[in-house]
Parts: sequence; C-alpha cells; structure tokens
Amino acid sequence: MGWLRLLGKEYLLNWLIKALGSSIGRKFVMGLTGLLLIGFVIVHLAGNLLLYVGIEDYNNYAHALHSKPGLVLVAEIGLLALFLAHILIAVGITRENRAARPEGYQMRRSKQNRTAATPSALMFVSGAILLGFILLHLADFRFHLRNPGPDGEEPFAKALRLLQDPVSAGVYFVGSLFLGWHLVHGFQSVFQTLGWNHPKYTPLIKKAGVALAVVLALGFASFPVWAMLKKYGVQL
Amino acid sequence: MEKKLNLTLKIWRQKGPQAQGRLVTYPVQGVSTDASFLEMLDVLNEELLKKGEEPVAFDHDCREGICGMCSLMINGQTHGPDRETTTCQLHMRRFKDGDTIVIEPWRAKSFPILKDLVVDRTAFDRVIAAGGYASVNVGNAQDANCILVGKESADRAMDAAACIGCGACVASCKNASAMLFVAAKVTHFAELPQGQPERYKRAQAMVAQMDAEGFGGCTNTYECEAACPAGIQVTTIAKLNREYLKSSFAYAEESKSSEGEG
Repeated sequence: MGWLRLLGKEYLLNWLIKALGSSIGRKFVMGLTGLLLIGFVIVHLAGNLLLYVGIEDYNNYAHALHSKPGLVLVAEIGLLALFLAHILIAVGITRENRAARPEGYQMRRSKQNRTAATPSALMFVSGAILLGFILLHLADFRFHLRNPGPDGEEPFAKALRLLQDPVSAGVYFVGSLFLGWHLVHGFQSVFQTLGWNHPKYTPLIKKAGVALAVVLALGFASFPVWAMLKKYGVQL
Repeated sequence: MEKKLNLTLKIWRQKGPQAQGRLVTYPVQGVSTDASFLEMLDVLNEELLKKGEEPVAFDHDCREGICGMCSLMINGQTHGPDRETTTCQLHMRRFKDGDTIVIEPWRAKSFPILKDLVVDRTAFDRVIAAGGYASVNVGNAQDANCILVGKESADRAMDAAACIGCGACVASCKNASAMLFVAAKVTHFAELPQGQPERYKRAQAMVAQMDAEGFGGCTNTYECEAACPAGIQVTTIAKLNREYLKSSFAYAEESKSSEGEG
C-alpha cells in the first residue's frame, strides 16, 4: 500500500483514500462495482439470447462486437478492474468480519423469521462459486484452454460446441443459479449501502431485485440446457 | 395466574478475561412465572451462595428496560425470544415447565468477556467520546418553541435516541458490526438543529472510532433490527451511509496550521 500513501501525499487525495479505505467506504466500492457488473451481465444476457433468434443474427452480433480490437481491450480491462475490486474487497471484508467474532456462540437463533441459508448470509460462498464458474467460462470462451475448436469457427458453432461439453454445461447451469442467488441480496443491498433507503422505493427495489435475479438466473441457465437438448437430438 | 417452573439452565461460566470458559448445567426448581428473567438468575445465585459456590456474574441496573445494562444471549437470541424487549423485561411465563435455557454472554472481539456473562462494552463509550455529543454550551434550555424542529425530523431523532446502547446489535450481527448503534447516534444528532455544527465531523470521527475498535462491517443482513430492544430501524444505517458519504466529500477538515488567525 506504499504507493497509495505516496499518491495521497502527492495529489492531496488522502481524504479520498481514507474514506474509501473505511468499512463504509469499501462497501460503497463493493456496491458500485457490483451494480456495474450487473449492468454488464444484463447486456451479456441480451447478446446471448440472440442464440435463440438465429444463427446469422448471433454471428453478426459477435463479429460486430469484436470488429474493434481496441474497444474490446478497453472493455476487458474495465471488467477485469471491476471484478478485481469487487473480489479483493470481498476477501478483505470477509476476513475482518470473521475476525470481529473470534469465538462463536454455542447456540444461535435468528430473530428474523428465516433460516440461516438466506442469500445475505452466504454472499461470500455464492460469490466464490460464481468466481469458479467465471474462470471456467473464460478458459472455455476467451482463452480456449479447454476444447479448442478449428480455425475460423463461427461464433454460433463455437458456443454450441462448448456448451455441449458435459462439465461446462453442468457448471454453467449451477453457476447461473448461484448468480441469481447472489443478486437476490446483492441488488437491493447496493441501495442501502449507498444510503438510498426510502419507504416509497425500497419495497420496489427489493421486488425488482428478485425479479432481475430470477430473469438472469433462468436466462443464463437456459443456454446449457438448450445445447444439451440439441446434442441429444430433441427437436426445439 | 402464577405457576411454578422447573428448568435446566446451561450458563456460560468463565472466571476471568483470559480464563477458559464453558457451559455449566444448573437445575432450578419452583421458578415463578411472574419472575423476570433476571429475578430467576437472582434465585439461582442465592442458592449457589447457600451452597458456597461462586454466583453467576451478569450485568443489570434499572431493571425497567431503559438503562441498557442487561444483556444475555438466551437460547441463541439477544434479550430472549421477544421483540423489542430487554432481558430484564422478559418474564418466565414465556418459558414452559421442563425447558432447557442456554445463557451466553455477548460475543465480539470488541466486547471482551470480563467474567461469566459480563462483557466490557466500553468500546461503545469510546465511539460516543469520538463525536456522539454536541460540544457547544448553549446555557439554559430555551423556551420550547424558540428552536423550530419539523415534526418528521423530531420523530426520526426521537426514534434514534431510543437506543440504550446495550450492544444487542453487535451481539446478533453475524459480523459483530456496530453499525446500528453508530447509525442511531449519528441520526439522532443529524436530525436536530443542535447537531448541525458538528454534523460531518461527527460522522467521520464516530465511523473512524468504530473501525478502530475492531467491529465488523455491515452486510445488510438486518439481524440487528430484529434484535434491537429499542426498535432502532436499519433506515438509520442508510442515513449513516449517506452522512458518511456526504461528509467524506463535502466536509472540509479543520486546518492544522492557523494561518493569519489571532
């Protein structure tokens, strides 16, 4: 963190570093990066849904996306920065939170009418599972480390082929459901963290968050199911 | 109608801050359903004294639910099973004959156990000392309507001021976070005219002290709201987040050098 301190001294941003380093400040960054990542996943799902529209439409969209390598690089660096910030802060916060209670209770019961397995209690676990899914997804589609395809393969054919790998299909299906699980808490939590708790909007935000989580989870989970059905010759 | 209960208590016994603690089982007979939870512990302690054993140490003071001294994790719930009730206001009629009751102290790194069920909550005092006050001496109280306060602001300030500082929010939070406590105090002052001069300095100083005390962070699980005997709501936490954000960007810290003054 030495370079951060230097930056603080040189550019008079000590106050900003202090604010963003505090427990509340890190939650702001956590929430904002999470919200931006949600924006990315929505666009990602919209693009993927073109798989169902037609082979040509999907291929044209994919080619258009990749026609400007410079822009792709900027987008990838941006996404990497968002993911890294979100994950690193999560690890830091989780470690501190665990350390805040070194010895647990012999008996524990919630006063809220719910069980322990709620989305909010398992954000780190669902996040870790999501990370595993994303790493496999990058290995498949971005870095071609597993099942490399022939040269000049069209995007639609590539997607279908990779989704028909039984390991990938299983991980993608489960990972998509955990994405929804993560967002049920994550989406509405951002607004509380940013201080936007209001009797008129908060109930709406909570409902919208659940709806968004369900749409994203089912949307992404449908692709491996679709690919496997195609693989075994089910007419769609 | 008064009835008598026979209970099995499993109480955390720990000789001192560094000692190894454990749950010890005590059978108690003939507990009145009219007794409060603390009176039931008094009865147990008298029996222990008669037998020449060390009584169970627990915190208590007013026994009217307003001082914030009593604590206790009762069957895994802060202040027992009731909502918005302190342990001293919990009555034995809430329990059934033959029940086993597990009684533990608050657990958090920032609330070290002193003895048995007594924990050191001075971390809260230090958070208050960092900024939970209005330092301007304004003399005698003015006539009631000289300082106008909006009805909604007064309501929110009074709701927040209901916090008795018992620490149930920390004890119930999976992260042992003190956000609800700090949020109540910051909201209380931020809603009133008397709190305005030091409003942003207060939010900064109290959050910094909260972090320094080693409390965990808020993950919006809201267990604190359910656990709070004073009914403090998590909307105050959103307010604290807002105050902290605003004060980080808008508040100009007092300059250390006093150029051209005096």
